[in-house]
Amino acid sequence: MARSAKKSSKVEDDRSSLFDEEFLKKLEYLHMVSRKTFVGQNRADRRMRKIGSGIEFADHRKYSTGDDFRYIDWNVYGRIDKLLLRLFEEEEDLHIYILLDASKSMLIGEPLKLHYAMQMAAALTYVGLANLDRVGIIPFAENLGAHLPVARGKGRIFKVFDFLRGIEAGGPTKLEEATKSFIHRYKRKGLVVIISDFYDPSGFEEGINSLRYNGFEPFVLQIYDEKEVNPSFHGDLTLVDCETGSAKEITVSKSLIEAYKREHEKYCAELSDFCSSKNIPYFRTHTKIAFDELVLKIFRLGGFLK
Amino acid sequence: MNLLAPIASGTIVTVAAVLAGLLVLAYILKMRRRRFEVPFSTLWQRVLKEKEATSLWRHLKRLLSLLLLATMVGLLLFAALEPELGGARKDARSIVIIVDASASMKTIDEGEDGTKSRMDAAREQVLLLLDGMSADDAIMLMRMDGRATPMSRFHGDLAKHRKTLSTIEASDTPANLTASLSAAADALRWRKKPQILLIGDGAYSEDALASATWEKAAEAAASPADGASEPKESSFKDKQLASVDLAGIDVRYQPVGKAANNVGIISFNVRRYISNKLNYEVFIEIQNFSDEPATRRLVLFNGDSEIDVKTIELAPGQRITKIYPDLGGGAESVLRARIESVEDEASDAFALDDEAWALMPENKRQNVLLVSEDNLYMEGALLIFDHLEVDKLAPKEYETALAASELPEYDAVIYHAYTPENVLPAPTHLLYFNPSGPHSPFPITGTLDRGRITQVSQTHPVTRWLEMSDVNFDKLSTFAVDASAAEVSLFQSIRSSVAAAKKEGRRKVAAFGFGLEGTDVMLRVAFPLMMVNTLDWFAGADSDLITTYTTGRPARVPLDGTYGISEVLVTTPSGANQKAPLREGYATFFAAEVGVHQLVARKGGEDVAEIQLAANLSSASESDIEPSAELSLGGKTLDAPVIGSATPRQSLWIYLCLMVLFLLIVEWYTFNRRITV
Repeated sequence: MARSAKKSSKVEDDRSSLFDEEFLKKLEYLHMVSRKTFVGQNRADRRMRKIGSGIEFADHRKYSTGDDFRYIDWNVYGRIDKLLLRLFEEEEDLHIYILLDASKSMLIGEPLKLHYAMQMAAALTYVGLANLDRVGIIPFAENLGAHLPVARGKGRIFKVFDFLRGIEAGGPTKLEEATKSFIHRYKRKGLVVIISDFYDPSGFEEGINSLRYNGFEPFVLQIYDEKEVNPSFHGDLTLVDCETGSAKEITVSKSLIEAYKREHEKYCAELSDFCSSKNIPYFRTHTKIAFDELVLKIFRLGGFLK
Repeated sequence: MNLLAPIASGTIVTVAAVLAGLLVLAYILKMRRRRFEVPFSTLWQRVLKEKEATSLWRHLKRLLSLLLLATMVGLLLFAALEPELGGARKDARSIVIIVDASASMKTIDEGEDGTKSRMDAAREQVLLLLDGMSADDAIMLMRMDGRATPMSRFHGDLAKHRKTLSTIEASDTPANLTASLSAAADALRWRKKPQILLIGDGAYSEDALASATWEKAAEAAASPADGASEPKESSFKDKQLASVDLAGIDVRYQPVGKAANNVGIISFNVRRYISNKLNYEVFIEIQNFSDEPATRRLVLFNGDSEIDVKTIELAPGQRITKIYPDLGGGAESVLRARIESVEDEASDAFALDDEAWALMPENKRQNVLLVSEDNLYMEGALLIFDHLEVDKLAPKEYETALAASELPEYDAVIYHAYTPENVLPAPTHLLYFNPSGPHSPFPITGTLDRGRITQVSQTHPVTRWLEMSDVNFDKLSTFAVDASAAEVSLFQSIRSSVAAAKKEGRRKVAAFGFGLEGTDVMLRVAFPLMMVNTLDWFAGADSDLITTYTTGRPARVPLDGTYGISEVLVTTPSGANQKAPLREGYATFFAAEVGVHQLVARKGGEDVAEIQLAANLSSASESDIEPSAELSLGGKTLDAPVIGSATPRQSLWIYLCLMVLFLLIVEWYTFNRRITV
């Protein structure tokens, strides 16, 4: 017989227990791990990667479109016929900007992707603040929302928690618009951690590229819910896009689910390949993985800490 | 295969149409798409470009789902027609078995040692008949006592009929043969090979046996019985309207019961004397229904106290009537008569009519206060009633005593030519003679000189037996009577009320627009009657109220002050509680048990009115327990039923239902597996 026609995947957006005592302990642990592994190798506590500042040579990397010609290592080009860019380290405070996706699609999942993203943002902020970096959090959806100003000092972590708890979520994802606004608002270059599901109908490339072109170092963290990859619904349905509200009547069969899974994987691979090609650190996780595990993985693979 | 078709084809078609509509509706509901929110529909759109959702299989599986549901509904409807394997027998009958469950069936005279009741024997006879029924016979069981009660519809499930039969017990009511035959004939109308089997002891009234006709109504109307020039219309009215048309129906009779002796009370009643309410007289009628003389001891009880014992001797068939005049004593209002066997006589086989009950209207001493200047006519009228205790006060003494709260409780106060400002509190009832001024119970609209009473209320207890047309009055006060407030005009002069009565909660008030001066009313018989009627109405003692009924007949019982209440609670002699409808102050009461019944009307959790009623068998035809070996119905002697041999049959409905269940499981499985979605 006919079942209930309406089904909702909404989970209550309760943020009261996101940053409890247990969470704080995990943050402290992550900080200890980060110091044990990385601290003490450099003069300053942390230094940002900055191209062409001329202070201390750090590394080479492949030239890509948009890079400054002045930093191409012509000696290497002469020897091995490859365009490589010289990278320098500058001894100054690192500015870490955390661009947190607060669009409506982040309000899906169990736990909500937004909650997971908030915990990730809080963890990375804590590690940054504890390492005397300057960290700011900027939520975005179709544009930038109210932001947490860039500041330093571990003691600010509770303000961070309060700020994260108060973020208003909603609206469609428009990464390109958001990054353009970000570039206009923040002149000081630094690390930009984008925590998002990257479900932007107009694509993610332009948004990330605009950061790169303006001297920021993008750091991509893609979050998804397992049910997004493995939908459990079948039969005649009306699929409604939670951000745009557009509806589509379809008949979901096993083969269609399989095709969707392939398409989702393909989309994620596109993002991953794009980041690899641009030498942008990229991490992908689903919400069932503990956030501290993911942070440790980020530490191990590098990109966030130096 | 044949169809028993217990439901009319028109009904089946209607049900099929409704179910088909519901089915399509359910199908449409099922096809309503569920809504799912997805975070990124772009991915789905990319996938859908590759796969078109409107494939042929999708249409087909939807159709499959509808067909599955349609098949289930079709199978259920087919099952409702009760299909059976094997061809229909041409001699299949439609039979109504009327099982006599009247009072006489409680007679214990069956079995080898005479310890079984006729009801047990009747059940055994019906079982024998059922065992011999053809597989294609459609049978209905009908219980006959004071009412005709169909116990089943027409079907051939013998196991069900046996189970139903075991629930039929004899009641305390006489058999209503006419109603039972009429109901059976109606049920058999338009059915093939109709037959009525009557299982009973033949204790039916002559009128009922004569009420059957074997000719069709039209034929009977066309050919009057006497063949003379009787008009057709008259013949139709006389014969057909009151008769049971059994034309074309094979009616058979199976007697039960053996010859047995019985002496029974066939009438019992009591009434109080009007002049002396404390005394009463009893009427009793007893008949010996056996062929031998009988001796019985007749005991009369007031409550549980014996008030009279007599030994009576009855010749065969003799009916004796006894009147016990001027009985008194005993505080109870319930009278019981019982006939007992004397030592050398065997007890009779039918005990139900050995006892009878009667109820007297409640009567108690009334304390009455007369507030009047000296008036010998008034005092004299009150002195003639033995059940009244009368105190007299002059108006000034009354006012002083009332102000000092020195007055004891009175049942009623009579104000003669005096209208006080303050009266005794309820429930003391008030009677006014010639009230005046603003404190009159009814507003005074004027006075009539030399007026006469032209109209007396025909229904109110106060005016019962009164003749007032020749009474002379010097002056009459006229009252404004509000009928919407349940005020009643007792006497009218032309169209003006000159006497009125009303109820104010538990208090009753009556007022006469004349005193005992300037009139000759006190010289008339009407005056003491008027006084006793009024005081009886105050006391709730209604000498016209019938409180003794016969079982098996509906009765309308008045209950005071019950307007707006729709039902009464009836407690039967066996202690069972039932509800009876109450309309416009009358309860419709059907006594199914012999004994004293209690009727209580409640409103808002409080008892508003209650009454006791006695019910007796009081039926000579039921007490005459001599069984009839042959029964003549409408002049035709009924044959005995023929016990045949049973033939088995295979009913298919259970298999059809199982098939529906199987399809339902398939549908559920395919739906949940998203095959037929």
